[in-house]
Amino acid sequence: MAALRSFWLTLALLWLASVACAQGASGAAAPVLSAARVVIVSSDGALAYLEAARALTERLERSGVLPSDIATVLAADLPRRLANSALVPPQIYVALGSEATTALAAGSVRAPVLSALLPGSSFERILRSSGRSQSSRFTAIYLDQPLGRQLSLVRLALPQARRVGVLLGPDSANKAAALRALAAAHGLGLHEALVKAADDLPEAVLHMLADCEVFLALADPLVFNRSSIQNILLSSFRARIPMLAFSPAYVRAGSVLALYTTPQQTGSQAADLVLGVLQGKPLPAQGIEPNDFEVGVNPQVAQALGLAPDASALRQALRRQERLP
Amino acid sequence: MNWADFKTLDIRSRMLLAALLPLGLISTLLAVVFLQARFDDLQASYELRNRSVVRQLALASEYGLFAANRSQLSALAAGVIQETDVRWVGILDARGQALATAGRHDQSPPLTLDPVATHGFDAKRQLDWLVQPAYASALQLDDLFEKSTPSADQPPRLLGQVVVVFSRHTVDAQKRQVLLTGALIGALSLLFGMVLAAYLSRGVIRPIMRISQLIERIGRGDFASVQALRSQPTQRDPLHQLQANIYLMADRLAQVRQDQETQIALATQALREKKEEAEVANLSKSRFLAAASHDLRQPTHALGLFVARLAQLPHDVQTHALIGNLEASVRAMQNLLDGLLDISRLEARAVQVNKHPFALSGLLHQLQHDLGPKAADKGLRLRVRPTDLWMLSDATLIYRVLLNLVGNAVRYTEHGGVLVAVRHRPSAGQLLLQVWDSGVGIAPEHQQAVFAEFYQVANPARDRTKGLGLGLNIVQRTLALLGHPLSLRSVPGRGTCFSLSLPLASSQASAPLLAVPAPELASAGDDVRGQTVLVVEDDTLARAALVGLLESWGMRVLAAADAAQALACVAQPGASAPSVIVSDYRLPDEDDGMALVLRLRQQLGYPVPACLISGDTDPALIQRARSAGLTLLHKPVRPAKLRSLLRRLLQSSGMGAERS
Repeated sequence: MAALRSFWLTLALLWLASVACAQGASGAAAPVLSAARVVIVSSDGALAYLEAARALTERLERSGVLPSDIATVLAADLPRRLANSALVPPQIYVALGSEATTALAAGSVRAPVLSALLPGSSFERILRSSGRSQSSRFTAIYLDQPLGRQLSLVRLALPQARRVGVLLGPDSANKAAALRALAAAHGLGLHEALVKAADDLPEAVLHMLADCEVFLALADPLVFNRSSIQNILLSSFRARIPMLAFSPAYVRAGSVLALYTTPQQTGSQAADLVLGVLQGKPLPAQGIEPNDFEVGVNPQVAQALGLAPDASALRQALRRQERLP
Repeated sequence: MNWADFKTLDIRSRMLLAALLPLGLISTLLAVVFLQARFDDLQASYELRNRSVVRQLALASEYGLFAANRSQLSALAAGVIQETDVRWVGILDARGQALATAGRHDQSPPLTLDPVATHGFDAKRQLDWLVQPAYASALQLDDLFEKSTPSADQPPRLLGQVVVVFSRHTVDAQKRQVLLTGALIGALSLLFGMVLAAYLSRGVIRPIMRISQLIERIGRGDFASVQALRSQPTQRDPLHQLQANIYLMADRLAQVRQDQETQIALATQALREKKEEAEVANLSKSRFLAAASHDLRQPTHALGLFVARLAQLPHDVQTHALIGNLEASVRAMQNLLDGLLDISRLEARAVQVNKHPFALSGLLHQLQHDLGPKAADKGLRLRVRPTDLWMLSDATLIYRVLLNLVGNAVRYTEHGGVLVAVRHRPSAGQLLLQVWDSGVGIAPEHQQAVFAEFYQVANPARDRTKGLGLGLNIVQRTLALLGHPLSLRSVPGRGTCFSLSLPLASSQASAPLLAVPAPELASAGDDVRGQTVLVVEDDTLARAALVGLLESWGMRVLAAADAAQALACVAQPGASAPSVIVSDYRLPDEDDGMALVLRLRQQLGYPVPACLISGDTDPALIQRARSAGLTLLHKPVRPAKLRSLLRRLLQSSGMGAERS
């Protein structure tokens, strides 16, 4: 009698399971999403985001997270996903780029959000516009390198240089105070030139270059953009002032040095933080500085300026200084 | 060239025009099209190069503008000004301030800042200016920093602008060069086409010209040269058949003409023979007439002299009347012979014209005197209207004309009268002498014929009382000799008017006496009496009559029948030398009176006065006698005339008084 009852129960369970399977087949990605614990929101299909997402995913999978627990969506698809109340909310959102961050900031997500691949100034602007404040629920790994790291690189690459010139625009002006302090700590003099409007740029550049030995570029869209960079680089080259930029594109365009974090490195750093969240640890409340980086060198320009920096040596030296593995 | 000129173009011009007009049109059209295309290419390449220069300059100026690097910009401008056609270069910053310029400032255009490329053109100075804004060149960074900024798509920043002024002189010079070359090529090809067309059209024109020439010669009737042309080779001629047909036509025409010429020659020959026959007939008639006249004169001459001698003898009344009738008959015969003589003299132009001014009144008076009685005899009234006008002509000849005209008028008028009137025509310098009669008149159809010899209207029976029909002929010949026009107006049955136009003369102090001798038989007294006259006459009767008459005048007469007798008569010793010689012209033995007179004069040793008598009216004889200075009397000689002549001869020689 008991054996017969257990037989019928088994039959019923099998039927339910087959129905469930049929439903899952017809609902496409729904069953995958419904189970995801990590949702990666990418601003668009750009290569940098793909690379970062891939590095993040690989790192998570190597750490035992099931692929089904990781979902990737584009920022444009996010509102539709959020509107689907049938879905089980994930444990963490990873936003890649400012558009993804903006989309998540606009939506009402209960899971913590880790933003990456955007400058600190952009993240802060998104926070301000969405009425949020930085917290462990909504934080970011900045694209900008820490000022200290940059000044250290200056010291390493150009040991003779003492006076550092910077162009401060509206977005970068708030770093002036920190920069001054750090420069002093590194034994460097600082020459700042303030750019309030695009028309001031030429004069500011020439003025700054007239009185410095190395030019440290700090990201600011008013100062460094596609139409200004050529002339800034030319001015710097003509003045024979080596420029330390913040993006590999600048090295390609003619800057002697650049200090930057690659999307892979950012993806790996994000994966560590996601794993922590999955294990129940909160995200850091403050903005996160990139913990890995690359040094880019333009050998032609360097040679023209009489320099011969070694990119990997500089990277290793910097890492040693920061006691990174 | 207007349309009328075009219509009159000859075939050569038309052919050339037909060949050259399309050629000229096509070559001109092609030249225009290709030149236009070339011009467009030149202009386009000029503009393209200019635009490229300006773009290059704008690109090169970018950093200089960014850095406001005047020295670099000046160097750039100085570099650009070296380019062809560049006249002025200006580089302006974003505020429109010129950072660098080069070139002549008077060629700088108005400077305005413009965010887009513009251009302008100064037609007066042939200057183009191009404005190119200089933007900071955008560099595709493709980095995350840029992607994160909302202002990533901001427009590129205007750094300034460059302005370059170009001159079109070079491109214009190139265009001129192209135009010149094109025109040269066009002209050469047109010339070549013309030569070719002229050469080719010659093949058509020449045969046509040849045919035209051929037809022209045929038209002129110059068949010989047509034959000469035929010998030219025309086998390759495109109009060979036409020419052959024309030659055929020419042959036919030549043949027809030859036939005609032969016929005409034959007809002419026949006519000439007829004419010669007629002339021969006329000549023989004239000879016959002359001979008859001569032969008639001889007896009439003798008859007249006999009758005159007879009349001098005493007779009873009955015989006297008979002699009167005899004299009238002889006079009529003499008149007829005188008329014939007058005509032969006029024909021979043997009448001497002696024009001089004279008063008409004397002439008219004489006329009234001469013909008044005759008119009165017919019961007519001859009225002569008196005039004091003078005229310039030969009074003797005019008087003879008047005698004839008035005589005719009296003869043909039965009732009424005859009027001689003079009309003054001072405007023409002439007077009109008119003879009116109320006679039978002359029908219009006869008005020309009345002037012919022996023509008489309405006298087919040739009634001699109606005259001889010589009067008007003499009138006409005389007036023609004098050069005075004569006109005739007549209405048959009403009368006739003859009008003479005579030249006026101014009045003279004394009128020369009319050379018409008045009959002076009455006073023929002792003027010739006692004078010796040598008469040479071969005709016995005439000699006898003449001797008798001369003796009846109381003259001593030496008579000779021929030249030998005459010479012998003179040579007789003791014979009285003749004071005057009257010799017949025609003497036996081929002698003539004229030669005899010369021999007699030679023999006598002095120029004895002499006169010749002849029955011959040969004009040549009259001329010879005149040139020899001898008076020629024609048989029949009127006794009164002979006596008057003898008297005059004797007086003029002075011999008459001496010998008597």
